[in-house]
Amino acid sequence: MISSNAQTSIEGILLKAARSRLPQQPDDACEIVPLAHAYDSARPEANVIILTISSILFRLLLVFHFDDDASTREYFSKKTGDVPLQDMLLEICNLCCGAVNQDLLPYFQDLGMSTPYVLSARCLPYLEGLKPDYLSSYAITINGSVKLAATVCVCAHAPIDFVADMTAVEETSGELELF
Amino acid sequence: MIEQYLLAALAGVVATAILALLLHKLHGARTLARLQSEMNDRIKTLMETNAQQSGLIDQGEQKIQQLESSIAQLDDDLARQLKIAGEDRAALAAAVEDKENLLDQARRIAGEASRLKSLAATFERWHEQMISLMTQNQDMHAKNHELSSIVKHVVIVSLNASIEAARAGNAGRGFAVVAGEVRALAARSEELSRSYRDSLHRNDLTTTATFQDIQAGGKMITASLGSVEVLADQFQVRLH
Repeated sequence: MISSNAQTSIEGILLKAARSRLPQQPDDACEIVPLAHAYDSARPEANVIILTISSILFRLLLVFHFDDDASTREYFSKKTGDVPLQDMLLEICNLCCGAVNQDLLPYFQDLGMSTPYVLSARCLPYLEGLKPDYLSSYAITINGSVKLAATVCVCAHAPIDFVADMTAVEETSGELELF
Repeated sequence: MIEQYLLAALAGVVATAILALLLHKLHGARTLARLQSEMNDRIKTLMETNAQQSGLIDQGEQKIQQLESSIAQLDDDLARQLKIAGEDRAALAAAVEDKENLLDQARRIAGEASRLKSLAATFERWHEQMISLMTQNQDMHAKNHELSSIVKHVVIVSLNASIEAARAGNAGRGFAVVAGEVRALAARSEELSRSYRDSLHRNDLTTTATFQDIQAGGKMITASLGSVEVLADQFQVRLH
């Protein structure tokens, strides 16, 4: 139901959003590798942050996986100040999802975005229960040490086919959507 | 002699008188002829003038006829224009009425769109209920975790009971059977707890995905209604 063009476009939009929003400094290295299996199968106790973009034709779930380790804490705590780390991560995920939403808008007129929510990684195997038409995970490494991952899950109610224009200049600053 | 002179003088006077009379008559005839000639000239001039005047009168009459014809045509044109103006006035009145109706409809659409935007509050209420449901799920997770701890403890206790029963020898044989049953029940409870935990996680994901879809769908509808409202407002402005 989701054409290969649309899958490639969604992947491109997600990776572009991840590269532009997840690194805290513009010159931080960000390596993204597709995963064959779910990222958190070996980390059942981890938590993930989940967001949804809804349209008339589909719903797209974005899942961000953050390791609760020293390098992650150190990297993302630099700018938190008095804000708890989890709130900071929620805000980053919200920005990332907002960037995806923004890049989908030229192709889908009516879109809405949810607020983020924290779930146990044990919930993720049940994404299959939503009968997704497209499910893909990516391992993301920032500066060679901060390891995280993103999963995209698209459930379509009608055939989806579009080719995203990925030649547009990336914006370095995003609008903060309050939640 | 004198008589002769007198006769001669008289004859001279008579001849002079006759000559004078002749001259007078000749002069009178000439004057009359001149006057007649002048009169004829004047008559001729007057006749020519009269002919010219008659020509002018004819031309004037022709012009009057043309003007009367033009006036009649203009009257027709005016009547026709008045009829068209009347029709245009009626059409204008109908168009004004249509415009008022459209304006009223645009106003109502904008009003409805504005009113329906308050649906966002409903979607947010549903989202709050998701938070409430998820809190309950968390509570069930905690209780299931506690149950799992108890079951693990029961397994240990049943193992200890089995060991103690073995130590008691024949006297403890019955107790060993009970301890085995307890361990089997604990194992089933443990499996049930694990299954329950998995169900809760499935429930967490389904609930979150559903309510996020509702929340995002609500925002999508609110944004669309905002666009409808803007379009209706723009339409209203154009109609004004």
